[in-house]
Amino acid sequence: MPIQPSRDRFAFLGREFLTWLWFEAERSGGAVQVESLGPVRVEFGQRLVLESGGAVREDSTVKAEAPSLAEEARTALRVGKKVSRARLLVDVGERHFELGIDAETLTLSGVKLPTLLAGEDAQRLEERLHLIDEVENIVDELYMTFIRLRKDADAWAPVREALRAWVLEGAQA
Amino acid sequence: MGILSGPVSYLRFVVPSPTDGFEEAFCEALAQHAFHEIDPTSDVERAAGWVQFDDVFASEFEAKSLVDPSGHLFLKLRVDTLKVPAGTLKAYVDREARDRCRELQRDKLAKRELDVLKLEMKMRLRKRSLPRMQLLEVVWNIGTGELRLMSTSKGAATLFTDIFEKTFGLQIRPVGLLTVLWLRGMSEPEIDALAALEPERLHLIRP
Repeated sequence: MPIQPSRDRFAFLGREFLTWLWFEAERSGGAVQVESLGPVRVEFGQRLVLESGGAVREDSTVKAEAPSLAEEARTALRVGKKVSRARLLVDVGERHFELGIDAETLTLSGVKLPTLLAGEDAQRLEERLHLIDEVENIVDELYMTFIRLRKDADAWAPVREALRAWVLEGAQA
Repeated sequence: MGILSGPVSYLRFVVPSPTDGFEEAFCEALAQHAFHEIDPTSDVERAAGWVQFDDVFASEFEAKSLVDPSGHLFLKLRVDTLKVPAGTLKAYVDREARDRCRELQRDKLAKRELDVLKLEMKMRLRKRSLPRMQLLEVVWNIGTGELRLMSTSKGAATLFTDIFEKTFGLQIRPVGLLTVLWLRGMSEPEIDALAALEPERLHLIRP
C-alpha cells in the first residue's frame, strides 16, 4: 500500500478532478462517460466551493439553484480558483444519488441514497451498505477516469486546451 | 442519522486482513477496550470504548456472531463526556460562597476555602448530571479490509484511529487521493509517476 504523502502535495489533483468533472458534465450535456459504468449523469447542485491552491488560500462559495451556471462561479475559475467542494446529483441507470464531496480527501458527506425496498433492519442495513458501495464505486471510477486522462500527456493536452477555453468562455463573450 | 437511516457521511480507511480464526482474539481485544461508564464520584471527564452495534449499553461480544453473514463487523465506539460547564460551576460556587459568608459573617472566603468549595460543588454537580453520549458507527468489511467510520469529524477520526489500532493491533490508513488509486488496482510505479505532475494553470491563458 502506498504511504499517504502529505495532504497538500496532491490536493491539486482533487481540485482539478472536480473542475474537470464540471467541465465534462457541461460539455457532454451531463453524461460523463466512464469505462466501467457507461454514461454517468452528473449535475452540480446547490452549493459549490472554489479555492485557490496557493500558500494563501482564498475560497468562494456559490449557493444557487444551479451554481455551476452562476457567473460568480465562472469568475472564480477565471481568477485561478478550482472546485474544492461540491454537491453532486449523480444518476447511473435508474439509481439517483445526491452527495457532498471534498476534493482534497474524496470524503463523501450528506449522501442521500435511493429509496429502499427492505423493511427489516438487517435487510435495510445490507441494502444501504450495498448502495454506499455503489455510490463510492461511481465516484472512484469518475476519479480514475480523470487520473488516467491526466497522467497521459498526449490525451490530456487537448483536454487542457478545451478546459482553458471553457474557463475563458464567459470573459470573451 | 447514521448507517440505518437518513443521509450518510463517513470517512474511509483500509486495514490489513486479520489472520484466520481472529474472532476469539478480537472478542478478547474488544473486552479489553470495552466501554465503561464514567463514575460521577471520580474526576474522569471522558470515557471511550466499544459497545454492541445495536445496544449501546452492552459491551460483550461473542466470537460466533462477531462477523455477520455479509462479512461485516459492525461496532459502535461510545464516547461519554461528563463535564460541568465552567459558567455553571462558577454560578453555583458564587452562590454557595455568598451563603457561607453570610453564615460566617465574613466578607469573603479564603482562597483555600474557595478551592475546596469549588471541588465539592463540582462533585455535587457531576452526580446530578448525565454524561453527553456520542456514538460513532463503524463498519468493517473483513474480507476487503475496507473500514468506514460514519462521521467526518477530525476529532472523531483521531480518537477512532487511536482506539482501533490499540484494540486490534492493526494499522489503519485513511483513504485519500492516492490510496483510492491503489484500491482501484493502479500499480505503485504508476502512482509514483503522479509525483511528476504539477498543478494546471487554467486561467488567464488564451488558447
